[in-house]
Amino acid sequence: MSNQKKRNFQIEAFKHRVVVDPKYADKTWNILEHAIHEIYNHNASGLSFEELYRNAYNMVLHKFGEKLYSGLVTTMTAHLKEISKSIEAAQGDLFLEELNRKWNDHNKALQMIRDILMYMDRTYIPNTRKTPVHELGLNLWRDNIIHSSKIQSRLLSTLLELVHRERTGEVIDRGLMRNIIKMLMDLGSSVYQEDFEKPFLEVSAEFYKGESQKFIECCDCGDYLKKAEIRLNEEIERVTHYLDVKSEAKITNVVEKEMIANHMMRLVHMENSGLVNMLLDDKYEDLGRMYNLFRRVANGLSTIRDVMTSHLRETGKELVTDAERLKDPVEFVQRLLDEKDKYDNIIGQAFSNDKTFQNALNSSFEYFINLNPRSPEFISLFVDDKLRKGLKGVSEEDVEIILDKVMMLFRYLQEKDVFEKYYKQHLAKRLLSGKTVSDDAERSLIVKLKTECGYQFTSKLEGMFTDMKTSQDTMQGFYASHPELTDGPTLVVQVLTTGSWPTQTCITCNLPAEMSALCEKFRSYYLGTHTGRRLSWQTNMGTADIKAIFGKGQKHELNVSTYQMCVLMLFNNADRLSYREIEQATEIPASDLKRCLQSMACVKGKNVLRKEPMSKDIGEDDAFFVNDKFTSKFYKVKIGTVVAQKESEPEKQETRQRVEEDRKPQIEAAIVRIMKSRRVLDHNNIIAEVTKQLQSRFLANPTEIKKRIESLIERDFLERDNNDRKLYRYLA
Amino acid sequence: MPRTSKRKSAPPNSSSVTSPEGRSVSIKAKTKGMEKIDRLFNSYANNSLGMIDPDGIEALCSDLGVDYTDVRILMLAWKLKAERQGYFTQDEWRTGLKALGVDSLSKLKKALPELENEVGKSSNYEDFYSYAFRYCLTEEKQKSVDIESICELLNLVLGAQFHPQVDLLIEYLKVQSDYKVINLDQWMNFLRFCKEQISFPDLENYDASQAWPLILDNFVEWMREKHS
Repeated sequence: MSNQKKRNFQIEAFKHRVVVDPKYADKTWNILEHAIHEIYNHNASGLSFEELYRNAYNMVLHKFGEKLYSGLVTTMTAHLKEISKSIEAAQGDLFLEELNRKWNDHNKALQMIRDILMYMDRTYIPNTRKTPVHELGLNLWRDNIIHSSKIQSRLLSTLLELVHRERTGEVIDRGLMRNIIKMLMDLGSSVYQEDFEKPFLEVSAEFYKGESQKFIECCDCGDYLKKAEIRLNEEIERVTHYLDVKSEAKITNVVEKEMIANHMMRLVHMENSGLVNMLLDDKYEDLGRMYNLFRRVANGLSTIRDVMTSHLRETGKELVTDAERLKDPVEFVQRLLDEKDKYDNIIGQAFSNDKTFQNALNSSFEYFINLNPRSPEFISLFVDDKLRKGLKGVSEEDVEIILDKVMMLFRYLQEKDVFEKYYKQHLAKRLLSGKTVSDDAERSLIVKLKTECGYQFTSKLEGMFTDMKTSQDTMQGFYASHPELTDGPTLVVQVLTTGSWPTQTCITCNLPAEMSALCEKFRSYYLGTHTGRRLSWQTNMGTADIKAIFGKGQKHELNVSTYQMCVLMLFNNADRLSYREIEQATEIPASDLKRCLQSMACVKGKNVLRKEPMSKDIGEDDAFFVNDKFTSKFYKVKIGTVVAQKESEPEKQETRQRVEEDRKPQIEAAIVRIMKSRRVLDHNNIIAEVTKQLQSRFLANPTEIKKRIESLIERDFLERDNNDRKLYRYLA
Repeated sequence: MPRTSKRKSAPPNSSSVTSPEGRSVSIKAKTKGMEKIDRLFNSYANNSLGMIDPDGIEALCSDLGVDYTDVRILMLAWKLKAERQGYFTQDEWRTGLKALGVDSLSKLKKALPELENEVGKSSNYEDFYSYAFRYCLTEEKQKSVDIESICELLNLVLGAQFHPQVDLLIEYLKVQSDYKVINLDQWMNFLRFCKEQISFPDLENYDASQAWPLILDNFVEWMREKHS
């Protein structure tokens, strides 16, 4: 028809009018629903992945995602409900197996379904923030199976029953357990925790509470700990085999609490088998086990440590106050060393060298060693004994070991200056009597003391060694310049520098004529080569070797003290001498003379003199004769060696007094040093600082420090502050 | 800032007159006053020594109506800043009486209560107290005083004000054997002890770890034992 108006040519957008078949969505959905059925019925092989994927894709594309999704939910739920019924129906042991099987099936199905619905998973679901397919599948499983009323509690009780059976020794199917547990873990940590872990821990706690009660009634400590250790290891193993690794800490806590923490005190203090017994019997294995187990609980180690400490302090205290033991100082110290060794071993072998235990050991030793004020003296006597004879034939390394151990005891002493005093005395006697076993050992100990206490401590000791050496050289020089004397008696002089050697006032006794002449010659020789010096003979410290012929011609060489020599030589000119005559002739002080005569007249085997009357004590009117009938197996007879001995009570008092006197200037020096640098300081701080400074030598007494401060105030070194009388001020 | 001119304050007993006559007047006034003081001095002084000796002091005391051992004489000695126990030198006499503002016996007698007040002032008291001790140091280089004298001195100086403390302290000092003499530091701390309101007689708030001299620590311990 040509009458048509010519319209503008318009290009219209291509509108693809898709006539959507309203039944299209339903049809597509049915296909998919059918597929899901097949999948669940293990008939998936007949399905075409491509077709199903396309269908799902189309549904989403045509905005039927909602239908698809909700359809999925409904379908899956329905299936799961059926599955649930079949699981519920399973009897006894088959329950778990059925559950496991169905779970595996469900996972496989889910996998396939997810693949089919992947487009929806990637587009529709994120856009609408719905749960992704896989997760949805798990949640539905959880809600319909695991949390179904007929399954939930049965599952839990089955699992717990199995664990219990395993704990009582039965073998269970661990693989199955692992799978079920893994299923719960996959469903989400809250499922695992709520549906299994929490109840598991509760039940375990009950179990172990009961078990620990049972054990503790019938086992001794060592056995109990063994059992506890076994259970602990079992639980750890259980976790590795079929539980979540995060459960390990939780279940071990339960075991630790129930089996260890709750019974800790009872175990430690168990009679006849507790910690103290283990320590006494050196039960390293049991102790080690206890250490490892207790270390896991709060206050476990501190409990062990405290009990060990108080036991140690008690035994130590008994040791040092036991009157019997104190009779033999060497034994006493040896016992201390043994005790230290014992505990070093225990700490090393059973307590893995734990430093806190080492510290507890040290503080305990420090505590009880200082309970006995004679400890410094005894330790010095111990060393003396070792250096005299104890170390004879011992290898160099072993010597070092013993000396190091002694040093360890030395470090515990609070009154190190008392030790120094005794050590000096004993060393002097050793050196002068030539009785030291090893010069190297002596020097080694001095070095150790120097390292520990500083140069000041040992400078005088070293001086003593120097004097000995110098004296040797002097003697050589003396005899070299007096060749005519080589025929007469041999003189050996040790020249001692007064400051270095322990001071003893000595009144020189009367030497026999032969000796005094010789001594004079030495004196003039010495003073000739050393000007400005004064020599005084210490006749109380010397020794002499004299040859004697007795009544029946027995010849002996007698090793005696100088005093004894003086007495004996008198008998060259007289057969009978009274005590008074001897005293007058020799001018030896009375107490020394009595001791000296006693050692020669009253001791069997050494009685070179005879006394009338035959009593043990020396009376002023006693008479002495040479004992013509004297016999001895040995040619050389040792009578008067000056051996270091435990001091008598008055001697001890004297030494203690000297130590106290020596401390006064040291305290004052410390006070002055501190005040000089601080200028002004209050009372408590001075006490604290002084104590700290002197700590390495002795424990300063606050009262004594106060006395010294007052003395310094009186002598105008310090003054009290005018305004605040609590302060002291240094006066330049 | 303008400087304020300082006016010299007029010295006592003399008038600030600039004329030469005035000056001589003030000097005269001064010498006249001093004359009386000197005369008083001479009436008690030992002429060969040139100073008042113990006898003279004893005479002075009886004239003043005061006992030789009265604390007021000690106060007088303090005011005079007398250096040697039992003796007053002329200079000391002059300075002291002038400071008291007296030049006759009767005025001196009247001045004694005032002197007591002056000493009682806390600013002076410690000075007086320490003077009392030093006054007892008769030998050269002497630093301590024997227990007997200390006990008497304590009574004299502190007895009135701190009666209970002093009594017990004296009892203790006589009984103890640690110290045979007391030094200045310990002496000063006796005063501090009394003043510091240590609760008596339980001595609850005494802290031996503070900077008290050892003798007081021992005293407190003795007291506590006595009362337990």
